[in-house]
Amino acid sequence: MTSQLLAAIPLAIVASTPLLLAVLGELVVERAGMINLGIEGMMLTAAMTAVVAAQWTHSITIGFLAGIAGAAAIGALFGLFAIRFAVDQIVTGTAVVLLAQGLTGVVYRQLQQSAIFLQPVPRFNTDVVVPLAWIVIPIALAFLLWRTRFGLRLRACGELPAAVTAVGASVAMHRWIALAIESVLTGIAGAYLALALSSGFAENMTSGRGFIALSIVIFGRWKFKGALLGTAVFGIAAAAQYALQASGRGIPFHLLLAMPYVVTLLILCGIAGRVRAPESLGR
Amino acid sequence: MSGKLRVPISVSRIGIAVIAATTAIAGLALCGIAFGRSPGELLAILAGGSIGSSFALQGTLLKSVPLLLTGLSVAVAFRAGVWNIGGEGQFLVGALGAFLGARYGVIASLMAAVVAGAIWASIATAMRLWRNAPEVLTTILLNFIAIHLLGYAVNGPLQEVGGKYPQSDAVPARASLPLLGNLELHAGVVIAVLVAVAAWYLLYQTAEGLRLRATGFNRSAAKWAGVNVDGQLIRAMAISGAMAGLAGGIELLGVTHRLFERFAAGYGYAGIAVALLAQLHPLGTIASALFFGALTTGAGELQRTAGISSMVATLAQAIVILAMIAFMRRSKTSS
Repeated sequence: MTSQLLAAIPLAIVASTPLLLAVLGELVVERAGMINLGIEGMMLTAAMTAVVAAQWTHSITIGFLAGIAGAAAIGALFGLFAIRFAVDQIVTGTAVVLLAQGLTGVVYRQLQQSAIFLQPVPRFNTDVVVPLAWIVIPIALAFLLWRTRFGLRLRACGELPAAVTAVGASVAMHRWIALAIESVLTGIAGAYLALALSSGFAENMTSGRGFIALSIVIFGRWKFKGALLGTAVFGIAAAAQYALQASGRGIPFHLLLAMPYVVTLLILCGIAGRVRAPESLGR
Repeated sequence: MSGKLRVPISVSRIGIAVIAATTAIAGLALCGIAFGRSPGELLAILAGGSIGSSFALQGTLLKSVPLLLTGLSVAVAFRAGVWNIGGEGQFLVGALGAFLGARYGVIASLMAAVVAGAIWASIATAMRLWRNAPEVLTTILLNFIAIHLLGYAVNGPLQEVGGKYPQSDAVPARASLPLLGNLELHAGVVIAVLVAVAAWYLLYQTAEGLRLRATGFNRSAAKWAGVNVDGQLIRAMAISGAMAGLAGGIELLGVTHRLFERFAAGYGYAGIAVALLAQLHPLGTIASALFFGALTTGAGELQRTAGISSMVATLAQAIVILAMIAFMRRSKTSS
């Protein structure tokens, strides 16, 4: 069992890479004072646009770019309502997820009847995404948020937006930039999920990763170290799931499938009581 | 509280809902162009498939029943200021509860559905009150857990005796909901409407309802006015979960008679659109559920005859929600 678990860890790190990218993106957005449930929809849309573009052009790079564009389109819709109209972010986020599910479902079914889908999905070979997600991006974002004036202002948007306005800066602009960062990260996450971890798109293939990401942001106390730790804990739980599956101990498959969500619930309950969220989160 | 029944509905609020619903339909019609079909043709299929014949109308009414109940579930929770996004999971455990209770007859079965839904929702309340875990996330996570629990049930302990498909056996005939006259409609239609009236009575005609709405309107003000806010949240969430659970039970006993993996089919999430189109008013929810019921049956017809995915119904739900929150903001700022 132990050796099986150890063998499963590299797999778990790779498999939780899209989740980590989503966690990092959501962390930036929540630090700027927004809760974006729509991240689930952004990732799902990115997965589809990435697959379609990659099949069309036979290029992995264009696939990833299309993924970012897809996530950004859904992210912009969220921003329009959450920033521009300043309406309730939770309702907006839920609507955005439904929109993405509906849109990808309809478009994908339509495209399946076209010639593009006879093309094979290009294979993803050299994996730069994993080291980027686990090392480079967290360091870069932590530097941006805690070592630059821009980062200070972005975090102030999440704590006391009036202070940002008082120094003559725009809360809306900082929040839009935070959303743009999240769009890039979730775009890569969706593309990686569809092109590297799966071989194509399937309806609702993100299966709640966005919501799990939101939970890990809370577990990690809105810090990058916590985000990495939280995703790692989650990844190890996933590795345990694979190991259990492989060991054939007779735990029913469908109960194992529920495990990530149970682990996330436990993570939320284990820590949430003792943390302080950004003061103006969700307002 | 006067003895007269007063229904607080204003023309402008209905106007907003009509515009939002029209926007969604127009959005779908325009989508048709992208698929090389004229908007008029799509609208004709939508209308024909949902209200065009007595058969279609009965289908619409049948789809409206779970939508009405999940819509009420969301309306009660949102009125109390709790984010119950867990209708989907509560619907599923409600159906599971109903299945387990089916051998004791239809009443016991529906009661089991109600209790199961309430308990499932209360897990999220408990996590909120004891661990401060946000119910937005816990209710969503509980949806996924319920989906896999159902998957386990129909592949394992509750799988049909034949063991051929991932589905349960049919519930015994005496646990099925009776049909209304010689129609295809089951008695769940009546139950759902009664629940809507009861929810309206609870929210607008009782002190409990006033406290519940006060809690949702301004939690700290309600607390200072002497409302036991925590108790209010516990009850609102339990009632909300009970309604979604009942929806699952009625769907099992009235329509499917069996459990299978994709049993919920989005009714829980659709409840959010139903409730918001009705601006969280229980009686408005009846009209709103009929609209979305028609949309769902119409979308089914679109998939059969035009090959367009029935997911367009989900798309329309999203458009309605976005239109409603945009309009409600507009009316707030203008007043």
